Amino acid sequence: MASLTPTPASPSKPTSSEDIVAQKYDRCLADLLVKSGIGFSVGVVASVILFRRRAWPIALSTGFGAGAAYADCDRSFNPARIAGVRVLQQPPQESK
Amino acid sequence: MFRALPVSRQAVSKRNGGLVRISRRRFVTETTDTTATSSVTPPKKSSYFLTKVIVYTAAATTTFYVGGAFLAFNNPSYHSFYQQNIPLAPSVLQYGEDHGWDSLTITDVIVNAYDGVSGAYSFVRKQLGYSVEEPSTKVPSKPKPTIENRENEAKTRVQRAVDRLKTDVKVEGKKAHDQGVKAAAIARHQAIQFTEGVEELVLEAEAALMGKPFKKSSPVEATTTTPDQATPVALEVSEPQPAPVGAEPAEPAPKNVYNVPLPLGHEPPPGFTRPAPPKPPKPLAPGEPLPLVAPAVEELRSSEPVLTHLAQTIDSLASFLNANPAAANKARGVLDVAKNDLSGLAHSFERLREEERSKLEQSLDEQTREYTLKLLELELQAQDKLESQETDFRSFYEEEKARFASAYREKLEQELRTQSGIINERLKEEVIAQGIELQRRWIREIKVRIEEERGGRLAKLDELAANLKRLERVALDNSTYLDENLRVHALWSALRAVHGAVDAPTRRPFRDELRVLRHAAATRDDAVAGAALDALDAGSAPDVGVEPLADLASWFATSVAPAVSRVALVPDEGAGVLAHVASHVLSAFTFRRQGLVPGDDVLSVLARAEYYLNEKDLESATRELNQLHGTAKTLLKDWLDAARRRLEVQQALEVVHAHATLSSLLVAQGH
Repeated sequence: MASLTPTPASPSKPTSSEDIVAQKYDRCLADLLVKSGIGFSVGVVASVILFRRRAWPIALSTGFGAGAAYADCDRSFNPARIAGVRVLQQPPQESK
Repeated sequence: MFRALPVSRQAVSKRNGGLVRISRRRFVTETTDTTATSSVTPPKKSSYFLTKVIVYTAAATTTFYVGGAFLAFNNPSYHSFYQQNIPLAPSVLQYGEDHGWDSLTITDVIVNAYDGVSGAYSFVRKQLGYSVEEPSTKVPSKPKPTIENRENEAKTRVQRAVDRLKTDVKVEGKKAHDQGVKAAAIARHQAIQFTEGVEELVLEAEAALMGKPFKKSSPVEATTTTPDQATPVALEVSEPQPAPVGAEPAEPAPKNVYNVPLPLGHEPPPGFTRPAPPKPPKPLAPGEPLPLVAPAVEELRSSEPVLTHLAQTIDSLASFLNANPAAANKARGVLDVAKNDLSGLAHSFERLREEERSKLEQSLDEQTREYTLKLLELELQAQDKLESQETDFRSFYEEEKARFASAYREKLEQELRTQSGIINERLKEEVIAQGIELQRRWIREIKVRIEEERGGRLAKLDELAANLKRLERVALDNSTYLDENLRVHALWSALRAVHGAVDAPTRRPFRDELRVLRHAAATRDDAVAGAALDALDAGSAPDVGVEPLADLASWFATSVAPAVSRVALVPDEGAGVLAHVASHVLSAFTFRRQGLVPGDDVLSVLARAEYYLNEKDLESATRELNQLHGTAKTLLKDWLDAARRRLEVQQALEVVHAHATLSSLLVAQGH
């Protein structure tokens, strides 16, 4: 039986809350592809122009892009790792 | 080791289809070197390799630990990571803290390096036998200046210039000071010019006392005293001041005469004397034949000094003539005439004086007469004024008396008037009171009569009215009972309608049914039900409807539970992408639990919730799922909101249900 898609929790997000993690994965993947691609292209350009067609700038730049994507992904999963965010210790709340 | 970097050379081959191929070649010697070394050390290769490995490992480990320690001191997150995850790290950190590595900066490093290098340099030079100069100058003797020596050179040059400036300043200061002293000395020297005379005099006196001849010293010697000596002499100025005053009378003869006029009260400077006062004219000897005029006017000397002066001049003339006796005889006649004239002048003076005196007396008498007349006039005027004032006072007094009498009479009349007014008022009030009394008495009589009447003919009408009223009440009661019944029925119907809407198989808004229900329930005075319905009405649930239970359960089973179980192994805080991916992967390998399993972890909670949902116990399921926290809770938010909404609506409806039951029971009981 097809489950009805329930109304969203907030009007800005058309997905319900249990799909948050999946959405984050999707975004991370997209980020990875985009940033690695950008890094790859920058690496190719740099390699051709500056580094006399060697292989390592391409790999390096792609790695930069992938690393940036990984860092963004990490930050989206763990908001405590965003620069400047400090998590204050709160007393444990009682469950209902 | 001598060739640290391999030198590469480019060789460009000929163009080939637009491509420039760059090839690299190393030196032939290097390849031979490597081949040579490789040929020489095949047996030692393993041990050399091993030592190389060991050395590199040791170096890398040390660098890692030390660098990690420094990084830890500067970066707190790395510090926590370093301390917890690497063995032996805390001891390294402790060592670093003890030695103050956490307060090290780049400048400290550079300064220490510089000091070390310079110390080593100087030590080496000392050992080699070169003379080591003081650290302040450090002037290099070697012709090849290094950077440090250049610095030192500049430093010494600056130092020397500063010293020179300092000495110049000092010299200038000393000169200025000398000049100032000189100017003061010159001023003082001028003031005490005379004290040189004092010195001479003192010396003179001493010489006289000692009986030696005194050689007057030239004034040139005195002026050649140096300015340095001027100052001690200045000190002595005050001392010799009293000395010359005492020395003056001891002088044998005054040498200098001070002819310039002196200011008042001042003495001539020491060594000088006042010029002798002009000599008074000597009187003629009494044995001269020439008559003297002066004795003739002696008696007038006090009042007419002019005459005496004239007489004196004539006497002097006579004395002069005495010197030439030849002309004396001729002059005698003239002198006689002069003498007679003078005496005549004196008499005429006296006469004039007497005349003046008499005139003055006359004028004084006249004035006294005038003034006495004036006095009499004034007296009469004063007397007249006094009399007029007396009459004025008397008339004023009469007027005052009359005024007082009239005022008193007026006051009496006023008093009389007020008293009569008060009495009138009182009379009026009494009259009115009597009138009211009479009226009351009449009304009472009328009432009594009416009562009698009523008792008789109107009694029956009263009965009828009472009966009617009773009937009315009964009818009203019946109608209220019927109304209540209707209302309870309406309430029940509305409640059933809302229930139907809530329990529908699809989600349906029930705003209209809720409105009807509220309307039905509002007429009853039940605060709890009213509050519950108000809360329900205020939310958005009636507009969008609530999820049917079946939908919730299926939703949970199909999408929520798998998503949550995939996130089950993620830690509550500090969960990055790797933790999520690990949880995703590992949850695929967990055992699936079912039924009422005890436990606090996510999977057990999910299993319990699923069990409750199968039993159609939404409340327990929601309660279980609410106990989760962290990422799982975030994923469950939507489902929990929907479930909560449904539970709220259900609870409100239960309240209204209870209330409706109660009211129907009351109605049934009340009748």
